[in-house]
Amino acid sequence: MTTGTAKDLTETIVVCSLEDLPEGEMRLVEADGRKIGVFHAADGELYAIEDRCSHDDGPLAEGEFDPGACTVECPRHGSLFDLRTGRPKTLPAYVPVETFDATVEDGNVKLEVD
Amino acid sequence: MATPETKIKKLDPKLAEQEALKDIGADYEQKFGFHDPEGEYIYKAPKGLSREVVESISEYKDEPDWMREFRLKALDHFEQRPTPTWGGNLGQIDWNDIHYFVRASEKQSRNWDEVPDDIKKTFDRLGIPEAERDFLAGVGAQYESEVVYHQIREDLEKEGVVFLDMDSGLREYEDIVREHWATVIPPNDNKLAALNSAVWSGGSFVYVPKGAKVEMPLQAYFPINTENMGQFERTLIIAEEGSDVHYIEGCTAPVYSTDSLHSAVVEIVVKPGAKVRYTTIQNWSQNVYNLVTKRAMAQEGATMEWVDCNLGSKLTMKYPSIYLLGPEAHGEILSIAFAGNGQHQDAGGKVIHGAPKTTSSIFAKSISKDGGRGSYRGLLEVAKGATEARSKVVCDALLLDEESRSDTYPTIRIDESDANVGHEASVSKIGEEQLFYLQAHGLSEEEAGKTIVNGFIEPITKELPMEYAVEMNRLIELQMEGSIG
Repeated sequence: MTTGTAKDLTETIVVCSLEDLPEGEMRLVEADGRKIGVFHAADGELYAIEDRCSHDDGPLAEGEFDPGACTVECPRHGSLFDLRTGRPKTLPAYVPVETFDATVEDGNVKLEVD
Repeated sequence: MATPETKIKKLDPKLAEQEALKDIGADYEQKFGFHDPEGEYIYKAPKGLSREVVESISEYKDEPDWMREFRLKALDHFEQRPTPTWGGNLGQIDWNDIHYFVRASEKQSRNWDEVPDDIKKTFDRLGIPEAERDFLAGVGAQYESEVVYHQIREDLEKEGVVFLDMDSGLREYEDIVREHWATVIPPNDNKLAALNSAVWSGGSFVYVPKGAKVEMPLQAYFPINTENMGQFERTLIIAEEGSDVHYIEGCTAPVYSTDSLHSAVVEIVVKPGAKVRYTTIQNWSQNVYNLVTKRAMAQEGATMEWVDCNLGSKLTMKYPSIYLLGPEAHGEILSIAFAGNGQHQDAGGKVIHGAPKTTSSIFAKSISKDGGRGSYRGLLEVAKGATEARSKVVCDALLLDEESRSDTYPTIRIDESDANVGHEASVSKIGEEQLFYLQAHGLSEEEAGKTIVNGFIEPITKELPMEYAVEMNRLIELQMEGSIG
């Protein structure tokens, strides 16, 4: 499903049903030519970040996900990112990655992409 | 017995200086070629790396669970990563033919009298007590994998400055350690950092509280003394806001017939307005692989300085790095590498400008002789948003004969149009005219050569504390002997 106006150009994507994304899991989707990881953390919230580390373009979202700490570790060089803010908590990355709004609507996980 | 401090007060400063300098270079072979008999170890892990070895190290040290998990995870990273194929040749390292942990002494000693005789003898040859009597603020001497002797001046303790070996630091300041641990160099950063993370032992923990200025340099020695024993020290320095500290490490190693591995990790966090200088003089024996990851993070208005002198070893791969992450942070890297016969010094530095108005400089000098190879490998990066950044990179190489080799691999990435970045590189040989000029002034050919080389590295040696500068010049002279004519 795609909505949006010429004004804000926001695209809304249905990722999957909430049942298919239980706590502690991550789902990878493709939108507008880039990959985005949608995470279901232990606090019950959904978080989404671009699947590309700001350090060396590594597949960040596919790294080790810690649902309790709400972090993901880049599998390439080990930078740890806070999923809530997209900010790296450890080097070698030092630039935040892009974050996206993920919500639940009618039992489905939806993602808003600029 | 009187403590070293009380002796300092009684000595005339000039006499003390002469005392400290009298043996430098005079007994080089004994001083740096020591080889104490093996067999006096309390614990020595079997060769090779496995979950059992890692778990036994952690258990032996009675570490908290999170550290054991950290080590095991790092071991997975180490096993999954291929051996790097860039830089030097690491293909000859047999990872399974190394002792990853050896413990020489049962307990930590704070007083020189308590240090076991064998170990004391080794350090006597290194001249540590003399040095300490003169101007050391504290000594943390790493014999094999564990620091056995550690003393810190009482006034530092009163200021809240912590200078411990890393194992004690973890025990006594677990919260501070855990907060900063592996935030600068995560275990998955590279294969060697992963190895260190899995089997680390010893190293220093330095914590300088807000506003504290440490007048005297903190010093530690790291010799390797067991055949085929890796040395994997881990150092963490935290300089709180507005503080100032100078840390010096000296590394020496005895001569052995088979290859040894040294793979350290040094992490430094320089908080706003603080200043840290980290000086290294490394003089490894010629069979040591010296593969070290050193990185510092400098926050707003902070200053980080690496002074790195690399001598000896079979292969050194070391590129001290500085991440300038706050506005107006400043970084400096001074590096000297001397590559002799059969040696490859792959050294350099990295500076990443990640914030506006940050400044940096890298000065690297290499000397190659008798077929040695000196490489400069560096990175200068100015990130998007790091406006008004300024940096200067200078790398000079001196080749002493036709067989030697010098390479330069400078990488510069700039994402801001107003960055001011300068890069200079030169390669030169000792000129006939220079030699002739000095000889015309009464120097022998050999003396003339030494003078030229000492002049070449002088901009960096002048940054060293006096004792180290003298020793550095002496070491260079020894490397130079017989190289001219």
